[in-house]
Amino acid sequence: MRPRGVLSLVLLAVVTLVLSASGAAEFVFPLQANSVRFAAIGDMGTGKQPQIDVAQQMLKSRAIFPFEFVITLGDNLYTGSRPSDYDKDFAVPYKALLDAGVQFYATLGNHDTTNERFYKPFNMNGANYYSYQKRNVRFFALDSNYMDPKQTSWLETQLREAGGGDWKICYFHHPLYSSGEFHGPANDLRKVLEPLFVKYGVDVVFAGHEHVYERVRPQKGIYYFTEGASGSLRPGNLAFSAITAKGFDTDRSFMMIEIAGDDMYFQTTSRTGVVVDSGVIHRTSRPAS
Amino acid sequence: MSTKRWIRCRGVSGLVALSLCVVATRMLAGQGAALSKEQADDVAGFKEFSVRVQAYLKLQRTIESSLPALKPTDLPEMITAHQQALARKIQEARPHAKPGDIFTPAAREAFRHASRAVLEGPHSANSRAYMQPGAPDPRMRLAVNGIYPDTEPITALSPALLAAFPPLPVEVAYRVVGRTLILIDVESRLVVDVARLILPPAS
Repeated sequence: MRPRGVLSLVLLAVVTLVLSASGAAEFVFPLQANSVRFAAIGDMGTGKQPQIDVAQQMLKSRAIFPFEFVITLGDNLYTGSRPSDYDKDFAVPYKALLDAGVQFYATLGNHDTTNERFYKPFNMNGANYYSYQKRNVRFFALDSNYMDPKQTSWLETQLREAGGGDWKICYFHHPLYSSGEFHGPANDLRKVLEPLFVKYGVDVVFAGHEHVYERVRPQKGIYYFTEGASGSLRPGNLAFSAITAKGFDTDRSFMMIEIAGDDMYFQTTSRTGVVVDSGVIHRTSRPAS
Repeated sequence: MSTKRWIRCRGVSGLVALSLCVVATRMLAGQGAALSKEQADDVAGFKEFSVRVQAYLKLQRTIESSLPALKPTDLPEMITAHQQALARKIQEARPHAKPGDIFTPAAREAFRHASRAVLEGPHSANSRAYMQPGAPDPRMRLAVNGIYPDTEPITALSPALLAAFPPLPVEVAYRVVGRTLILIDVESRLVVDVARLILPPAS
């Protein structure tokens, strides 16, 4: 073996060791040019140390996987809506990310006040529910506290107009499928939303509310993730039922996602940096009625 | 009258008509018959409710237009200040507001029937399950013209229940605490009216 080859091997070994030590050895991301890279957190706004630990881990991970924005799955501010609550539960824990230009796109949980929609760093622009585009991905941020006919009608219009070419990702607080023992699935909400998701070809759904992480086996062709443990945690609360593809309920966690073409790479990381789930979802074209 | 305000007024009138259409259509669905007396009373009850909501909105919009408009801001202080100023001015404008001003007796009956149809119907278990977890403490003190506390969670409302109630303009919303139905002013978090014992008890 030539010295240059040996050097490369040594370097590779060192890099692997460093990644292992930081718990990031299983990074799956291709980091393709023009891909959409984001993180997902839910039920995080406690203002307590575990939330801060997760935020710090997100920052560390971002050095390797530079996500450009974060979606929040509700319960952004647990302690109230005083200015100090916005600081303690959000602005301080995520200061480094905010300073780095990372955008947050929030949804409201049952512990949030509706006026959070006016808080600019949440990018809700005064609306309880809204939609936005990131390259080949259309995001739909919903308010599952108040799914009235007006909102479902708005969603149907948005999904229809989005057409069939781009990824469609919906996110909101209450999970339609869940093996969490504390709340369980929001069957009532599912009855209203699932037919729309199926009809208009929604690819992936993210939710929180249940203070665990769970990846659900595809339901009617749709992938469901619950990430409700980015601050709060109910240890041992996941029942690991037949719909559970992977779960994690022993520590806090957050997700990172990269969408490159028709592939979605995801990784869920604990607050100590351990990779607890990862994988790739390949999108097969589905009709968008 | 500005275009925006004209649209708002037209919107509210349309809302009353729409809510009555929604209620009447639901009641007639599958029946192919005229409304029963109870159903006709419920239509009238919801109409009365919608008219009173409209009257409240007229007041609320006048007050809100006197304040600097709340726009997305980096400063939570601005959000809090707007919420508190709006609440204070509405409180001052409705010093004698009391339960039943908007949820009139006829409206309460209509809401009671609509709630029962959903929460005692064939899919009631799902609706109840959706509304239970993480709900606020049912012993929470609620008073007309009081502020809904920001430290209490809100009950996620069953989509089926929301579809059975008259639609509301964006300024106000329904809330549920235990068996109590509340009309809340969204931006000020002011309790506009309270109707107790509307939702059927859990079996």
